[in-house]
Amino acid sequence: MYKRKIFVFVAGLVAVATLLAACGPAPTPQVVTEVQEVEVTRIVAGTPEVVVVTATPEPEQPSEGPTAIVWWSHWANEPTKRVVIEKIKSDYEAEHPDVKIVLTWWDKNPMRDALRNTMTAGEGAPDITSDFCLPDEVAAGWCLPLTDVLPWENFVPGTKEASSYAALGYPDNYKYDIGLSMNMIFYNKEIFEELGIQVPDNYQFTQDEWVEISEKCSAAGYAGAADAIGNRNYPARFPVWFALFSLVGPEEFNKYYSGQQSWDTPQIRQVLDWFVQLRDAGFWPSTFSTMTIDEFHVYFHTQHKACTLYIPSWYAGRAFKPVEQGGQDPNWHFGMLRYPLMDGAVAADMLYVGYESGYHVTSATRHPDIAKDILVFASQPKYGALWTAVTNIPSAIVYDPVKDWPSDELLTELGVVPGQWNWFWEEYNKVYGGLQGGQAPTPLCDKFEQAWASAINEGLPLGLITVDEAIEMMDANLCK
Amino acid sequence: MEAKAVASTKLSPQTGESGTRRRRRGWVHSSKPWGAIALFIGPVMVYYGVFIIYPVLATFYYSLLNMTPTGGRIVTTFIGLGNFQRLLNDGIFIQAVKNTLRWGVVGPALEMLTATTLAVLVYFKVPLHRFYRTAWFTPVLVSGVIVGLVFRWVFNVDWGLLNVALRAIGLDRLALNWLGRRDTPLWCVIFVHYWATFGYSFILLLAGLTAIPEELIEAAYIDGASTPQTVMKVMLPMLRPTFVTVLILSFMGKMRTFNVVWALTGGGPMHSSETVATYVHTLAFGQQSLDLGYPSAIAVGWFAVVLVSVGLINRWLSRRVEQ
Repeated sequence: MYKRKIFVFVAGLVAVATLLAACGPAPTPQVVTEVQEVEVTRIVAGTPEVVVVTATPEPEQPSEGPTAIVWWSHWANEPTKRVVIEKIKSDYEAEHPDVKIVLTWWDKNPMRDALRNTMTAGEGAPDITSDFCLPDEVAAGWCLPLTDVLPWENFVPGTKEASSYAALGYPDNYKYDIGLSMNMIFYNKEIFEELGIQVPDNYQFTQDEWVEISEKCSAAGYAGAADAIGNRNYPARFPVWFALFSLVGPEEFNKYYSGQQSWDTPQIRQVLDWFVQLRDAGFWPSTFSTMTIDEFHVYFHTQHKACTLYIPSWYAGRAFKPVEQGGQDPNWHFGMLRYPLMDGAVAADMLYVGYESGYHVTSATRHPDIAKDILVFASQPKYGALWTAVTNIPSAIVYDPVKDWPSDELLTELGVVPGQWNWFWEEYNKVYGGLQGGQAPTPLCDKFEQAWASAINEGLPLGLITVDEAIEMMDANLCK
Repeated sequence: MEAKAVASTKLSPQTGESGTRRRRRGWVHSSKPWGAIALFIGPVMVYYGVFIIYPVLATFYYSLLNMTPTGGRIVTTFIGLGNFQRLLNDGIFIQAVKNTLRWGVVGPALEMLTATTLAVLVYFKVPLHRFYRTAWFTPVLVSGVIVGLVFRWVFNVDWGLLNVALRAIGLDRLALNWLGRRDTPLWCVIFVHYWATFGYSFILLLAGLTAIPEELIEAAYIDGASTPQTVMKVMLPMLRPTFVTVLILSFMGKMRTFNVVWALTGGGPMHSSETVATYVHTLAFGQQSLDLGYPSAIAVGWFAVVLVSVGLINRWLSRRVEQ
């Protein structure tokens, strides 16, 4: 009898304790004495390490000590970008011993879900985070204005305006940008030479020449372009995007791109008909529908199975890493091309310039001044130079190449081989140097974004729909 | 509890208590230990309430709302059945429903046919039956995501196992881009999910066959029935109750499955393999919208469809079993 009572008592105690532990409120992240390291799983050995977060960081225990700032960032699989952000973090902590930054690396989609959940729940959200859909986040009140905070004079012209959504009723500026994103076209020099394709002096083929190139490549067993939609809803849009931008110029392109203007126009038909011609000429790899974004990078730079690659400048983030981590051989040099010269193009000498993902301060922060100060700190020209030197991606922060460029010692310390990718910049300056940059900052509405994905990313390249059907789909989902 | 009641009854004659009082005291003192029961069941019930009942009720509630980020906050508006009206005009949803229903009919039929045949073969101990039993059940143990990824490679147009095999035997014309067309991805999904799950139905049906009294089967043989006749006239009719359960489980599985589809095709291309489950996920998490009202309405609507469908199947098959 006694045993039974004791058993019931102990079991009940355990059950109640478990229940209370599960239902008890989680400690609020605030001040800490011993900052907990975020638990990570290392998936790649060596430097720089690639880490993927296995769980949402545990909240800090409130107590005396440095103030903890939680910073969420994607780019978990882009080690060079991580190196720069981690350097900013360590520099800030060195100058501010009273602050401890808990930096967490995510893949983009899980981070987006976690951010949405924590912001909606009102608990567990970070102080600083990558943006994933800034217009909606701004509209939901999740972003603190940075208008009077960031030293905008440190950024390239247009950066401030691009972080504002005045047309949607939100005139403040919300986003810290460290990287620019430029749409570029690469080509495989060896394959071009093998097939006898001569690059024009101005690095620009006409739209008809592009079709011929695709035919030649396809006949020789190469894809016209390394591109695929296995795990992204946008890569096949690039040829349409670049051609349309070149044909109609930034302002008109902006209207088409963001669903403000009907697609039933001669310009759109010209681009989409050309897009179909490319497809029929063997432009896409046979594995177009299943290859992932990382795979089609390798398809281009290591397997040498495609003649060209349409890609924004974030190519370097994935490709310029050690070969053993899936990066390209730095001794293999590709060439660059300007956008196809479309018949009647009004912006043939322009380059599309946008922005990489950036950061914003969330409204959930308990330390807005510190969080903002970190982004101000990160706006220094030396970090723009560091970004460019380490990631080989142009920076949105203006810097003096002589004064601000990181020393070879620092680069070596960060795992970068100084000068390894100089050929890339020489080619970049040769082909794109002097071109005028244009951008399209207007955000897309969700249904038009889906139409882009469905009609242009999948339907037309796979031959599932006609040009008329694609235009009909786009027009049926306009944002206006 | 019974032991306690008996002990109490035995004691009462010694205390001279009346029968009524004995019963009352027996009820009071020998009753179930409600405190302990509550302690044990309580946490589970709280868990069930918080993580099952509450989300279900919340989904029903959200399905009546529209959530729009505007003016610095997420504005929640009660729109009644507005989300359900929108469903009727949503072409992608209608496509997803068609795909899911097609799967819900073809998938279980294929699964029941194969699983029943194989269960009968193993029951009659065909050579290597022990190996078959393990081999056919093994795919059930593999995660749906892994199955999806593996078959994504199998269906690869260039170097996938299927096309390599077709080319090797001279059927190059049949080496299609299985996941990049409009007409084949759904059938690939149906096949892959069938491959991954039919072992479960097989094991249940085999257990059902094993439960049939051997005397009945022996009696059939004594009466001169052949093996096929015994199977058709004795064993399969006896298997019907199991059959109903397995069919309903199979059907429900098709209505809800997400991981295999997501890993294999992502619902594409152009929604050609979109199912209701993948569409809800896309709307709720895959898009930029912060509105959970519409995806909740789809979930609620689909819950009703599945509930009614399962009820009808159950009723129809149960009647046949009774007959």
